[in-house]
Amino acid sequence: MMTKSARRGLRFGKPALYLFALPATLLFVVFIAYPILWVAGQSLFTRTAEGQMVFAGFANYGAVLSDPAFWIVVRNMVIWGLITIPVQMVIGGLLAYFIERHTYRLRSFFRTMFFLPVVTSVSVISLVWVQIYAPYYGIAQEYLKLFGITMSFSPIGDPATAIYALILVNIWQWTGFSMLMYIAGIANLPSEVLDAARIDGARGFRLAYDVVVPMLAPATKSLLLLGIIGTLQTFPIVHLMTGGGPNRASEVFGTYIFKQSFVLGDTGSGATLSVIVLLVALVLSLVQIVFFGAQLSPAKRKPE
Amino acid sequence: MRTLIRFAAALCAAALVSATAQAQQKEVTVWSWFVQSTMEKSIAAFEKAHPDIKVKYTYYNYSPEYITALKAAAASGSLPDVIGLQPGSLTQQYREQLASVNERAAKEWGADWISKLAEVNRRQMLMGNPKGDENFYIIPQESQVICIWYNRKIFEKLGLPAPKTYADLKAAAKALSDGGYIPMFQGAADGWQNENVFLMLANQFAPGITDKAQAGDAKWTAPELVSAMKAWKALFDDGVFQQGALGAHAYPTGAQLFAQGKVGMMALGSWWMQESKFPPPLSEFVQNMEGFDFFYLPPVVDGNPASPPVGGIDIGYGLTRNGEKNEAAWTFLASLTNGEALQEALNDLNDLPAFAGHEPKGDISDHVKQMSARFNADLVKAENQRFAVPAVAEALDNALAGVASGSLEPEAALAAVQAATDKALGK
Repeated sequence: MMTKSARRGLRFGKPALYLFALPATLLFVVFIAYPILWVAGQSLFTRTAEGQMVFAGFANYGAVLSDPAFWIVVRNMVIWGLITIPVQMVIGGLLAYFIERHTYRLRSFFRTMFFLPVVTSVSVISLVWVQIYAPYYGIAQEYLKLFGITMSFSPIGDPATAIYALILVNIWQWTGFSMLMYIAGIANLPSEVLDAARIDGARGFRLAYDVVVPMLAPATKSLLLLGIIGTLQTFPIVHLMTGGGPNRASEVFGTYIFKQSFVLGDTGSGATLSVIVLLVALVLSLVQIVFFGAQLSPAKRKPE
Repeated sequence: MRTLIRFAAALCAAALVSATAQAQQKEVTVWSWFVQSTMEKSIAAFEKAHPDIKVKYTYYNYSPEYITALKAAAASGSLPDVIGLQPGSLTQQYREQLASVNERAAKEWGADWISKLAEVNRRQMLMGNPKGDENFYIIPQESQVICIWYNRKIFEKLGLPAPKTYADLKAAAKALSDGGYIPMFQGAADGWQNENVFLMLANQFAPGITDKAQAGDAKWTAPELVSAMKAWKALFDDGVFQQGALGAHAYPTGAQLFAQGKVGMMALGSWWMQESKFPPPLSEFVQNMEGFDFFYLPPVVDGNPASPPVGGIDIGYGLTRNGEKNEAAWTFLASLTNGEALQEALNDLNDLPAFAGHEPKGDISDHVKQMSARFNADLVKAENQRFAVPAVAEALDNALAGVASGSLEPEAALAAVQAATDKALGK
């Protein structure tokens, strides 16, 4: 058995052991820490009309926060997160439950089919959905015609509906991922607990709601964390389908930062927005860790 | 044994000769969004004429791949020798990393080389330069003229003439819709297509007014531009554009439908002719462009002239600071813009030549030759299509989308464009 002093020696006494952490530390510094610091530095500079970068202090932050476009983006992101995360969870959870509990021979088929959109190229998804939404020559219109319905507008072309139309596509694409997470959770449910619940008379909805759902809490919390991060990272669907339009109606942080940095060449403003998104992600992640804490990480769970 | 030694010696000698030849061959690196198959033909023609130079071309989709790759490479000082550029904002973003080509061009093509370019091209080459900077950082390869293309076979079938008045245009749109066709396909989810149509309209009311407005010499809220904005809205309300245009993209959706003969009209440019050079199968309309012809937007109010041609540089190339050190880079750039490499692009009908004195050769129908000649003649009198400051273009894109959707009034929308212009000009 190893003594206490020997264990301390292993932890602090042999500097050579730190070399094992070097590759991970180097990767972190080069690919994460340095870019973050570089972007944070860029957010303090602005470009003059002559093209020179000059120090501007926190002026970029003031300009971004007072720009109405920024608050449109914030509103869109809130709507996006509030709708996509719970809806994907609920539909994904229901799919997982019914596939795992009520399908037998076709289980793999259903799992694959519902997961297919997750691994399909976003470019293809965007192209297809643009065609689906197209009024009077689109795919949806072909089917609606059978019921005598004529689409007179494009849901992604109307400022009032554009963001919701994109949210629908996002839900369609990512629900399969939620389903997979819940399938993994359901597979790991201890059968003794379920058997005990059944012996106690729990069946159907009661069994699902009072026993299965609480036991799937780790998967739900992971999906919540990933959902918030995914919301803040939203870019390709919006960029490809609406470009953030019409007139910023579907602008999200990803497209807004892209436009400021690469289309308008305003690196300072783009970097400022990136830092703001980073801070928002950090705060939201910390809040979740404080509230859900150890349960998010299997390594931190108490030994049984 | 002796044979074996001889064989080995011969192999070594061959490897040595090959290595020496490779060491002597200079390499030019090029990045662009230019059609890869056409660029490969251009490179093959160039390398045939310059066997000592090897060109390595990297193709990117324009957005977001190309513009992000340029940004990253510029930040790390690793831009290739030659980069594809658009005049105005894209060129200006990389001006610090680009070499002036004035002296090299004069040495290559003579002191009067600039006179071989259309006036609109010359203006666009300097667009956005700081006051007093007369250096050229972009050499145009191809020009374009924006117009309204129409499917003449469908028009013939429905007994429609090419519209000469706004009433004709509305009547044609109605007849097309009634006939089951899309009247005029507008990819209004794309800012560039909206800008093009708006520029046609604005230049009807006051030629050159958009250029003055973006330079701060006229107001975006001027009555002529307000009238143009109202005319823009009318194109949606009067059924000239298809329903749901604001959610539609010109490429690939609109272009495919147009090529298949499901669309009556579309605002595109001279580059549309290249459809006839795409790999088969081609539709009966696209084959030798037999189904297509073009006109300029008719007067939208009584007393206006028809829209003038709008256009300028389609694509140009810049010599980077890295490329400046590589003599072969300029040799390729000169060929690509005004030499044997350009000719290959023209033969593919990629677009109009920027330099005068070139025309497409090879298997090209008389109809296409005639249209090409008409475009070239119109380019000389074309109004500028480009914006010097991307923030102004973006503000105009938002204004056009806002007005089209009914969420903004023309006056308020143009006031926002004016505010963006004032900010960009530091007023």
